[in-house]
Amino acid sequence: MSLETLLLYFFAAAALAGGVLMLIARHPMRVALALISSMISLAGIYAILGVHVIAVFQVLIYVGAVMVFMVYVIMLLDVRDPAFLERYGRAVVPSVAVAAVLSVALGAAVSRGRIMSADYLAGLHSNSMAASFEVQPFSVEFLERYWLHFELTSVLLLAAVVAAIAVVKAGRRHDG
Amino acid sequence: MSPDFAITLVYIGYALAVLLTFGAILTWVERKQAAIMSDRIGANRAYLRIPFTQVKLVWLGLFHGMADGLKLLLKEDFKPVTYDKLGYALGPWLAFTPVVLVFAVIPFGGTLDPGALFPSLADWFDGRTYPMQIAPLDAGLLVVFAFGGIAIIGAMLAGWSSSNKFSMLGALRAGSQLISYELVMGLTVLGLILIYGTVDLDAMVRHQSGTVLGFLPAWGIVYQPLAAILFLTAGIAENKRIPFDLPEAESELISGYFTEYSAMKQGMFMLSEFIEIAIIAALFTTLFLGGYNLPWLTDAGFVFPGGATFELGHGAVVAIQVVTFLAKVFLLCSFQILIRWTLPRFRWDQLLGFAWKFLLPLSIANLVVTAVAVWALT
Repeated sequence: MSLETLLLYFFAAAALAGGVLMLIARHPMRVALALISSMISLAGIYAILGVHVIAVFQVLIYVGAVMVFMVYVIMLLDVRDPAFLERYGRAVVPSVAVAAVLSVALGAAVSRGRIMSADYLAGLHSNSMAASFEVQPFSVEFLERYWLHFELTSVLLLAAVVAAIAVVKAGRRHDG
Repeated sequence: MSPDFAITLVYIGYALAVLLTFGAILTWVERKQAAIMSDRIGANRAYLRIPFTQVKLVWLGLFHGMADGLKLLLKEDFKPVTYDKLGYALGPWLAFTPVVLVFAVIPFGGTLDPGALFPSLADWFDGRTYPMQIAPLDAGLLVVFAFGGIAIIGAMLAGWSSSNKFSMLGALRAGSQLISYELVMGLTVLGLILIYGTVDLDAMVRHQSGTVLGFLPAWGIVYQPLAAILFLTAGIAENKRIPFDLPEAESELISGYFTEYSAMKQGMFMLSEFIEIAIIAALFTTLFLGGYNLPWLTDAGFVFPGGATFELGHGAVVAIQVVTFLAKVFLLCSFQILIRWTLPRFRWDQLLGFAWKFLLPLSIANLVVTAVAVWALT
């Protein structure tokens, strides 16, 4: 077993452990930490596959921007809402159902070998694949072919912002 | 063990040695330089006595750093009844590790040809050459900012988990200050990226190896003087030192986000701060001061304007490049300490206003002018 395979297993296990901890942990800050470790492990997996740019963006965007703000907000608000003290929220049944469906779908896809076949992984690791993920080809491709998809994502984010404001407003009305 | 692996191990050893030495030396430089600036004698008490004699080696107080280190290691590691034990334990590591890791992408010398340096090992290395950089990644500059983000989490986590109002305030200040100034820092280097057309730090340094107008070294500071000033300002702010030391302002917050830390845990915050001085200096050197380049030095030796040449062997060139890099870094560290002992501290609203209302518009203006100039010239 080469060093790279060993590291791949290590980071995969760490990413899984982070994900599980994120579900189990109850304090928001612990959840954020678990999410951070999971994301950094994913970045490690990308780096081992030779796509350094994706790995760097994973850390830069998700940890350096998103999670910094999450930690900041958790720290700022501290814990006013004691809902996390209850083990199960109201949405436990639907979320377990969705998780079950998702894992069955993913399991089916993996068992059919379409995602993780050895040939596919070898292709990912080949130098030609890694070369197309260097900064320059990646950015050219990104801005020429995928700019529309990227901009559509920002519409999605706008929808999320509107939804967040709506939730906050609804909560206020309830209180007052 | 493959030659690549051996070279990488040597580089990592070198990087750790350099960074920790800088961390230790800078504590002394900070004291002694402050003393000179304020016309005092400064650190001169700690000494080593040669055994069985009365000869005391003072060496300008150089051993104060050693005494500090011993003190920090031997002190009681006081643990408060913390709010969150996990966060409290993780804090120092999340603040320290990313700072050290940044050095992995900084080129500290030109190309190394180990076979030429050690003829007895020439067969083993088989003519391979290595850039003097631990991780020659093409996304180097992005890695720097990615690790910077993790360091912010460290400071915030430490302050939050201490369950102390002073720490909490320090953490809030650290978070908002670091986020604001990282934005400025990112915008200032965009101009350089436009000029060099790469984010690979080694390629950037190689771009700076020539001359402009026949005699000026083609350093980033010549192309982007405003960006250089903005970058250094934002860098000192990232470092949380006076005049930007609001997160740990000792007259307001005891010591801010690491108030509740003692012994070597507190020492790690201090050390990471001193190492970050060196890292900011190394980044500035790499981006704006030509990295390891000495004016007119090429891989074959000196080529002076006017055609005079002075040939040097590979070993001498490598040594000159490494020493040049270290000398530039050290001078910049000293300059940062000069600023630290010259300027008074900002008020909190002034600090954020300075970032958002002054530095940010300036860096955007710089970027726009650079973009227009690059577009017009190409």
